[in-house]
Amino acid sequence: MSIKADFQLDAKGLSCPMPIVKTKKAMADLVDGQILEVLATDKGSRADIAAWAETVGHRYIGTTEEDAVLKHYIRKCENDTIVEKAFEPTIELVEVVGKNGLILDVREEVEFAFGHIDGALSIPLGDLEARISELDKEQEIYVICRTGKRSDFVAQRLVANGFAKVYNVLPGMTAWTGELIKTI
Amino acid sequence: MSNKVAIIASNGGLFDAYKVFNIATAAAASDKEVAIFFTFEGLNLIHKQGMHALSMPAGTEHFAEGFAKANVPAIPQLVEMAQELGVKFIACQMTMDVMGLTTDDFVAGIEVGGAVTFLEFAKDAAPSLTF
Repeated sequence: MSIKADFQLDAKGLSCPMPIVKTKKAMADLVDGQILEVLATDKGSRADIAAWAETVGHRYIGTTEEDAVLKHYIRKCENDTIVEKAFEPTIELVEVVGKNGLILDVREEVEFAFGHIDGALSIPLGDLEARISELDKEQEIYVICRTGKRSDFVAQRLVANGFAKVYNVLPGMTAWTGELIKTI
Repeated sequence: MSNKVAIIASNGGLFDAYKVFNIATAAAASDKEVAIFFTFEGLNLIHKQGMHALSMPAGTEHFAEGFAKANVPAIPQLVEMAQELGVKFIACQMTMDVMGLTTDDFVAGIEVGGAVTFLEFAKDAAPSLTF
């Protein structure tokens, strides 16, 4: 599948350390939460990009390979650890499983593709306004993201739009140990 | 965790240059504060003319093809990139005196210092590397 990224960096043909150096530079143009797609042919970049993201505090989402070209996906995180969870009610991740309501995954499309809970619906935060009509106001909705920050925001938006049965799932996909469905 | 990486470059061949500048640029790209202390033959790596003609160890000349094939950046390009990323270059004063070199013999933007200059930077750096 093709994946929507906010920015694309072509680092094909470049050897270490250039993919990292270019990635660092490219990342400066992104705002918090945006996704960078890095194309590379340096096989070492798979491990390097993941380690780099870990070191500098961005979120490495995953890598695909197609015709010897690696595509790395990284989400820019300015302050991912500072999470203010204001929305009530919340629901624990473990309680969501087996419920009748809808699991609404508001992470970016690419994060969803690299692993989500079976049956979850993907509507990235940025697409919410445009796709809100797809949701049923009578249904219980469990909003989930990676850590609980984006889902908190979406839950508030849903209530503001007349949804009554909304829960913010905490802590989020970081704590999910069950089966992950991949669509990539 | 230390946010500094301290590197001593004391050899002047092409392989040495790649070891030094690859680690340095990778560290700088990972938001580390990086300083390289160039001493003895290591001064070659930032010498205006010398860095364009670094030699390979005897018997390894056939690697030249591999470097080209792997599209490895040239050393002057890595030097420029390292400086652009904020890597600090410290040239060893004592070696410069011995070799009769001045600041003008080197790429722009270097600092000149003695052992203590480097030690002061490296005292809380991790890792410290020698090439």
